[in-house]
Amino acid sequence: MANQRVVVIGGGPAGLRAATTVAELGRPVVLVEQRGFLGGTPIAERYASMTPYLEDPEAALGAMASHLASLPDVEILLSSEVRSCSGDAPAFSLEVEVAGQSRSVEAGAIVLATGFQHFDPGRETQMYGYYEYPDVVALQDLESMLKDGNVVRPSNGEPPGRICFIQCVGSRDRQIGNEYCSKVCCGVASKEAIEVRQALPDSEVFIFYIDMRMYGYWESQIYWPAQEKHHVQYVKGIVSEVLPRDGRLLVRGEDTTMGRPMEIPMDLVVLSVGMEPSPGTRAMAKLLGVAQNKYGFVEAARPPLDTVGTNRPGIFAAGAALGPADLEDCASTGGLAGARAVASLATAAVTSG
Amino acid sequence: MPAATQDPLRKVDDVAGFADVPRAEKERLVAEVFADPRFADYLYGCYECGICVAVCPSARFYDFSPRRIAQAAGRRDVDLLYQQMQEDIWECSQCFSCLRCPRGNNPGGVITIMREVAVNNGMSSAREALEGYSRIIYKIMSTGTQVSPDMLQPDAFPDWGPEVQDVSENLALWRRALPPETHHTTSTGWSVAERTLIELYLIWLETGALDMIRQVDEGLHMILEEVMEDRLEEEGIER
Repeated sequence: MANQRVVVIGGGPAGLRAATTVAELGRPVVLVEQRGFLGGTPIAERYASMTPYLEDPEAALGAMASHLASLPDVEILLSSEVRSCSGDAPAFSLEVEVAGQSRSVEAGAIVLATGFQHFDPGRETQMYGYYEYPDVVALQDLESMLKDGNVVRPSNGEPPGRICFIQCVGSRDRQIGNEYCSKVCCGVASKEAIEVRQALPDSEVFIFYIDMRMYGYWESQIYWPAQEKHHVQYVKGIVSEVLPRDGRLLVRGEDTTMGRPMEIPMDLVVLSVGMEPSPGTRAMAKLLGVAQNKYGFVEAARPPLDTVGTNRPGIFAAGAALGPADLEDCASTGGLAGARAVASLATAAVTSG
Repeated sequence: MPAATQDPLRKVDDVAGFADVPRAEKERLVAEVFADPRFADYLYGCYECGICVAVCPSARFYDFSPRRIAQAAGRRDVDLLYQQMQEDIWECSQCFSCLRCPRGNNPGGVITIMREVAVNNGMSSAREALEGYSRIIYKIMSTGTQVSPDMLQPDAFPDWGPEVQDVSENLALWRRALPPETHHTTSTGWSVAERTLIELYLIWLETGALDMIRQVDEGLHMILEEVMEDRLEEEGIER
């Protein structure tokens, strides 16, 4: 009989959904989380609200974590990292370091949900001056300010009068090597733009974009209200550079649909940074021997109809470890990976029986 | 949203022109456009997709783009909007083909508002655009009608179609084929009942149309007032 335990690596939205699914299907689950808390990047980076439904991440993900903890046969290991993995499905042996102590965990299947990290806008180029000018921030920095209800220019603590978002920073860029679209930044930037307009009604907010990619209902949930109700200015054209000018930041670009160059002084520039595989995703994929694509994300082995299976039987991936993903993607692949992990144990039990 | 930004988008080039017009004057006129109660229903948000230009008859013949009107309004671009009120908006034929907009915008309606603001403020473009129409305005405002079928000139209106030659040559015969008495000639069409004329005049007066005429053609306005003054007196209507 195969080991019935599933190990889920990563306690963000995808990992929480995967572990919950396993537990609800009545199998023992061990959730290994590197950080000292559950909830993943939305909690670690202090998101103000979740796109597009605007729930409080602490409340929503906190409720998910407490529900998981209340289920039988659930073990949550915080501040823990998988150090090694041997064996094949359905008999994996993992070495997990839990708060400095090494511990063996046997498992029949593994779910890899180690997520993403925000693109570092200082990498490769410095053209937007993220590390140079305090008033150049990234999406997650503004999330944090919105969470504190304190949207200000970091340079002087004053509320900004004019704010712009620059889209596709670290995405869709052959120069940087990230040729993919990060999927969520158009929606997240528009959501933050709405929140800024609500917090600072006298502000002017611009979004400079290449294409606005507002999938499905995001169109009418975020994009139209941002433009129509909150008067966010969408300008098709990407900023070439940000320059300090008279205490403000001059952004230079082309207003392509108006067919004219533009230079506009800004008080706060927000870089809509894309998604890259987290260090944990890179490390765990390597450790587990799971195939990665050229960008470092885990490669789904049999797309498009199997989105979570990897090249290794018994190991499934979920969430942004698989590539750019919004929260709904993460919950969907998380639930699927959990269910597929349990299914693989059942199949193994039958075939080995 | 502030009606007009205090700190305009800075362009590399002064593409909008009219640099000699004070900024405050441009802002005042543009603010009047945004303050119009219809504006919010005429412009939601623009995809900049160009379908309004694709369906626009004027765009085929003139350097005119309803998309640029929507974009300038969306951007609150005061300089460009002022330029458009002096130039572009008079190229529109107000056919409203642009209602095809997938976002439900009405660029032609925005132009209607911009034209009204231009006329009400006596902008030079409004005066120039309406200059050639004094006689037409006079006839419409004094009789309620302007064109009658006997004015058909076979060569003057090619857009009336190939049948116009035949119709104009035998108009009297065609009219006899239609039993009811109609206002089909200038002599009958412009002969309007006294009561109707007074009502028409009061409508022009009450709706502000006469004030608009005063802004663009003071001479015409004086003539209309004189024509109507006696009639109103005879009817005992106080103004």
